[in-house]
Amino acid sequence: MKNTKLLIAGVFLTVALPFGALLLSSQAQLGSLGRAPAEEGGPLFPPRTPGLAVQGRAVYVSLGCVSCHTQQVRPAGQGSDIARGYGERPSVARDYVLQPDVLLGDRRIGPDLANYGVRAKSIADVHVAIHHGKAFAFLYESGAKGEIPSERAASLAAYLQSLRQDYSSPEAKLKQ
Amino acid sequence: MSQDNHSARPQGRPPEGDSRLSRVEAQLRSPFLFFFVSALIWLLASSVLALISAFKLQAAAGVLDCEIFTYGRVSAAQHNLFIYGWGFNAFFAVNLWLTSQLGRFELRNAWLVTLGAVVWNLTLTYGVLRIFAGDMNSFSLLEMPRGVGPVLAVAFLLAAFWPIVAYARRPTGHSFASQWFIVGASFVFPLTYLLTQLLVLWNPASGVVQALAHSWFIQNLLLLWLGGSALASVYYFLPKVLGRNITGYYLASVAFWTFFLFAGWTGSASLLGSPIPLWVQSVGVVGAAMLLVPIIITAINFHGTLSVDGGWSRAWNSTTLRFVSFGAVAFTIAGFLNAFFSFRGYNAVVRFTSFGAGQEQLLTYAFASMVIFGAAYFILPRLTGSLWPSAKLVHLHFWATALAAVGSIAAALTVGWQSGKQLADASVPYAKVLAASSGLATASVLFAILFLVGHVAFALNAFGMILKSSAPAAESRHD
Repeated sequence: MKNTKLLIAGVFLTVALPFGALLLSSQAQLGSLGRAPAEEGGPLFPPRTPGLAVQGRAVYVSLGCVSCHTQQVRPAGQGSDIARGYGERPSVARDYVLQPDVLLGDRRIGPDLANYGVRAKSIADVHVAIHHGKAFAFLYESGAKGEIPSERAASLAAYLQSLRQDYSSPEAKLKQ
Repeated sequence: MSQDNHSARPQGRPPEGDSRLSRVEAQLRSPFLFFFVSALIWLLASSVLALISAFKLQAAAGVLDCEIFTYGRVSAAQHNLFIYGWGFNAFFAVNLWLTSQLGRFELRNAWLVTLGAVVWNLTLTYGVLRIFAGDMNSFSLLEMPRGVGPVLAVAFLLAAFWPIVAYARRPTGHSFASQWFIVGASFVFPLTYLLTQLLVLWNPASGVVQALAHSWFIQNLLLLWLGGSALASVYYFLPKVLGRNITGYYLASVAFWTFFLFAGWTGSASLLGSPIPLWVQSVGVVGAAMLLVPIIITAINFHGTLSVDGGWSRAWNSTTLRFVSFGAVAFTIAGFLNAFFSFRGYNAVVRFTSFGAGQEQLLTYAFASMVIFGAAYFILPRLTGSLWPSAKLVHLHFWATALAAVGSIAAALTVGWQSGKQLADASVPYAKVLAASSGLATASVLFAILFLVGHVAFALNAFGMILKSSAPAAESRHD
């Protein structure tokens, strides 16, 4: 401990080793991952997000939805995500390759949303869910026939409806 | 503490005799106070925000239902202010003071430190205002807009690079454990912060690798910067106030190296079950288990020192050590919980519940913040040359924060475990799980109020002391 250079070099290694061995090698392993067809010649998955949903995603991030909602389904052995109907198969890295910033989340104060688009039955249901009681009423304007979703609410709803991991992926096939 | 009450004088009396500050301390005084006052203001702000966000969870509808007060924004702002505002500023101050004490380091360029402090706090203010405006990122503790990151890193270097300079230039070959931890913490944070900013915000890595980089960042921030700095304080104040050597001090260097070596590998243990490669998850589990080595050594060092010759009761009677040993115990518990709940079976139960928040609070509040409070009770009277104005407020501060910390952490952990157990059984409907954990929301409001009371008591005392001292202390330094 008397040698300053040794101390600094050692501490530098404590940063560099995990960075190289965990992060860079994961990037090397997953960096080239792209979209893949569910069956030969079929369309590529994950699908591209529609334009309105891309705007809705920005609303999702800016309202901090990620602090209460995850978007990941754990495999059957770990937790009851699949049994609970959050998804038919576990999430895999390929599901996220098109996302500029991943919204995995680490807290479920509300339900998981990885497959919300599959679960949501109608657009009216989605707006009820966005409302959260009254907490997000500021996204709606009152009109003659009740509440009208603002542009942001409409795009957020489009985003939520676009959330689906219900396709087969080379790493996780759906059960037939 | 009780002895002080009998003689009816407040806490932390500075040494008798010469009331002038040593030259080393006089140079430190203004940057230290700048950091410390900023830290206190942010602590109060984050306590208020914590109360608001607790209210929002308790009654989702009705409290401040406008856009800037959505739960996501309030909780993100609170989290950032608590960590970057309170934790960082406070440890900038405490680490600087410890460095000057241990290495007789003279801070000739105090203006650079103050500049760093100004830049740090202005940038943080801007970043948090952007969060309220909705210009935020989705990764916790990286929510501030990405332009903020490089500025914060430069400010960090100006404010906190000095311990490394001091260590390199120390007059004697000998060094002490506190110095290693401070040097390590001050070195690791800016590097990690910049690398993570690069991989997550500026040049995003592929999909889930961002989440992995983020988990690595969080562990380095919480364990190595906040934890390492707090450990440095414990290593200093325990022997200093008790007047005896650390038990098993020869092990401290092993604790230092193993702590820094293993902490960086534990991040992926917080992503068990997530769509990242399995081998990476397993490395995290192994890292968390290996981290038990430094946890056990620090437990021997701290609790061993406290267990000899009535150390616990002496610690209880000293305001500084009452807080510091509270923190030392919390650190040991946090370390064991972290290792235990990194195993897949247990982790699967508590993942995504309030358990993780409880674990983080154990580390950032019950350990790091309590150690900061203890350090402040030791350092501030020496730097200001005056006494804590009110012993009652000191008592109120300790009991309010200690009870709130124990209560809120215990509530988050037990409710997290229970709701995790219910969630694991898919036949229990989600609404029922939510209803069962609604008690946590009510408890959080109560504890947030208690935290706020404790922090206001501390702030009143500290501000009173700093204001009272500023005029006469300036005079006394001229004689």
